This record gives sequence, C-alpha cells and structure tokens, in this order.
Amino acid sequence: MPERIRPWPGKWPTSWLQGLVIILVLQALATAAQAHRVLVFAYGEGDTIHTDSKFIPDTPVRQGKVMVQDQKTGQTLLTGQTDDQGKFSFKIPTAAAAEKMDLKIVVEAAMGHRGEWLLKADSYLSGVKSAPPHSPAAAPPLDETRANTGKMPVLPSQVAPSGDPVAKALNLEQQALEFAINKALEHQLAPIKEMLTQLTIHRTSLTDILGGIGYIMGFFGLWAYFQSKRKKDS
Amino acid sequence: MHISEGVLSPAVLAGGAALAVAGTAIGLKKLDYEAIPRVAVLSAAFFVATLIHVPVGPVGLHLVLNGLMGLLLGWLAFPAILIALFLQALLFQFGGLTVLGVNTVAMAVPAVLCFYAYRGWLRRGGTLARVAAFACGATAILLSAVLVAVALLFTGQGFLEVAELVALAHVPVMIIEGLITLFVFLFLQKVRPEMLEGIYA
Repeated sequence: MPERIRPWPGKWPTSWLQGLVIILVLQALATAAQAHRVLVFAYGEGDTIHTDSKFIPDTPVRQGKVMVQDQKTGQTLLTGQTDDQGKFSFKIPTAAAAEKMDLKIVVEAAMGHRGEWLLKADSYLSGVKSAPPHSPAAAPPLDETRANTGKMPVLPSQVAPSGDPVAKALNLEQQALEFAINKALEHQLAPIKEMLTQLTIHRTSLTDILGGIGYIMGFFGLWAYFQSKRKKDS
Repeated sequence: MHISEGVLSPAVLAGGAALAVAGTAIGLKKLDYEAIPRVAVLSAAFFVATLIHVPVGPVGLHLVLNGLMGLLLGWLAFPAILIALFLQALLFQFGGLTVLGVNTVAMAVPAVLCFYAYRGWLRRGGTLARVAAFACGATAILLSAVLVAVALLFTGQGFLEVAELVALAHVPVMIIEGLITLFVFLFLQKVRPEMLEGIYA
C-alpha cells in the first residue's frame, strides 16, 4: 500500500477498520425512526369513541393506561387499558355528550411515556346528534322536492307545519336515511382519518438529525470562540 | 429513557432541575478550552444515538452512550447531555422542557458515577481496563434505569415493578453499549490516547 498522509499516529489500517466496524454496527442497528413518543389518535363512530395508541413509528402501546378527561376541568370521566393492538374503545359518556365536552385522551405507557389527543366535541358528537330520529336537535331535514329539483335544503320551519302527517313521515324517513349515510361515511372515513393523522406525524428525518448536530457544533463553537477571546484578552 | 412531559409531580421536576443545574455548573467549571471539541463530539453522538430507535423488546430501544460519555468526559457529561436533550425536546418534542432536568440527571449521573467507579481500572490498562470499559458502558445503562424508576416512584407506580421493567428492557442495550464502550476505548487508546486524558487527570 502506498504511503499516505496519516492524520493520526498508529497502525492505522487495523484501527480504522475497528472504527469502521463500530460505525457499521451502529448503522445496521439503526432503522431511521423516531424515539419513544406516544401517539394517540381518537375518533368517534356512532356512540363509540375508538382510540389507537402507538409508539412512533409503529409499535402499539400494549396494556397502556387510558384516561379520558374533560378538557376544561381536567376531571377524569373514565379509564381503561389498551389491548395488544394498542386500541381501546368506549361509549361516549352521557355527561360528555350532554355538556359537549372536548375530551382529552391521555395514554400512559410504561416507563414514563405518555401521549395525548384532544377530541373536539364537534367531531365526535356528529354521529350522536343524528342518531335518534326523534331528537329535536337532529340535523335539519331536507326539502322533499330536493330529489327532483336538486334544490338546496331549507330550514325545517319552512317545510313542515307540525300538523302535516305526510311531511312528518317524510321527515322521519329522510332522517333515517341521513343517519344511515352518516354512519356509512364515518365507517368509510375512519381509515382516511387515521391516514391523515399518520401524515401529520413529524417523523425524524436525516435532515433533522443533521440539523441538530449542526446546532450542537455551533453552540460549542461559540463557546470555544468566547473562551479563546477571553484567553487573548487576559 | 426519556420521561414524557406531564407524568412527574412538580416536586420531582424541581428536584431534577436543581440537580441538573448543580451538575452542569460543576461540568462547566471543569470545561476548559481543550475539552470543548471532545464535549461537542460526544454531545452530538449522544444526540443521534438517543434519537435512533431499534425495534427490539416491548417499546423499542435506543442507545444512550452515557457510559462512554462518562468514560471520556467525567463531569463534562452533564453539559453535553443537557444540550443534546434540550435540542431533542425543542426539535422533536422528545422528552420535554419541564422534564429536561430529570432526564438530564437520569442519564448524566450514571455517567459521572461510572467515571469515578472505573477510572482506576481503566488507568491500569490490560485486561482489567477492557473489563472496566465494558462494565462502564453496561452499568451506566443499569443505573439510568434505576434512576428513571426512582423518578417514577413518586407517581404511584411501584418502584420494583418499574425498575425491573426498565432494567429488563435494557439488557440488550447494556450489552451493546458495553461492547461499544469497549471498542471505542480500545480504538482511542491506540490512535488518540490524549482523548482519554480525563481518566488520567
């Protein structure tokens, strides 16, 4: 092997080989992934809320402790435990539905790992609202002529004077239909919702890591700079 | 090893922060001009190692390298770990700013303890030094696991249960880190013995 410049003294081929091995081992072990952050994701479907907890990127939180809290008061409404897939489902508590609480879902995994998800009242109550067809708070029924003319739905007061039995029956039918559509939509949209959350996760990329190293070097560089100035001055 | 935000009680957080400040102050006092590049490199190594995550065991694991940091830095491990954790909390919401103190203590205290515990053996060289280097890497992880369990003790989780869980989960890490510490030690001994000046000081 031709003589080259040796930055470091010593028998360099073997020792460099050792260094290289260390680096390779580290690389082999490292799948670029994020450390132990717990991701909680929750969505309402009908009168049930499903939660899904995992360590980023994709390890389910098994037997994690789930606490459902009122966002405003911090009062715990119910607790539970995730299964082996990291999932936990519960019926929407009546108190929560009545007061339209925003729910904070906290998942505590072992060894001090913890994640949160805020579930807004609007997003999980939509299924409940249209569920009972007799509910006065139900979504405004559609105009019966809509099917023919494609007209926009109008407010209920304009449609059906309460005495008209035909209109009432139509209303009920439409509400039932709407309920069914909502349910089907929720079902179809659940995976999309989950995908969206997946997409919003900020995964640690190589750029992030290099950026962090840059910060560290810069910081110590500054420190060295000020120390060197002080040395010169004194 | 990183405890998340919102898990610990304020008293534990404050205690951790106070200890971290004290440790970092001692570290900065000992941080002279020549040592800065060494601290910077190890801080960066720690930053990367704790961020990269190997899917082993129940939660997946990452290297910590605090034994190695202790071996090379002694008290300087405190500022090095603090800065790396601070950036991780800031950039990746990994750990958290309020738990910064506790997390720093959990990883830097074992580094300092191992530094003093194994310094004598490392100085002597030969097989004894090799054993010490391996043990330094492994024990630091074990002590970190114990410290995490201590911090979680006050949250009502059973100490032995948590300590056992954390320690068991980290057995593979202990072995890997022992080997890494050993190899780096041998490597530096051969090519850059002056980087090991900490243990001779």
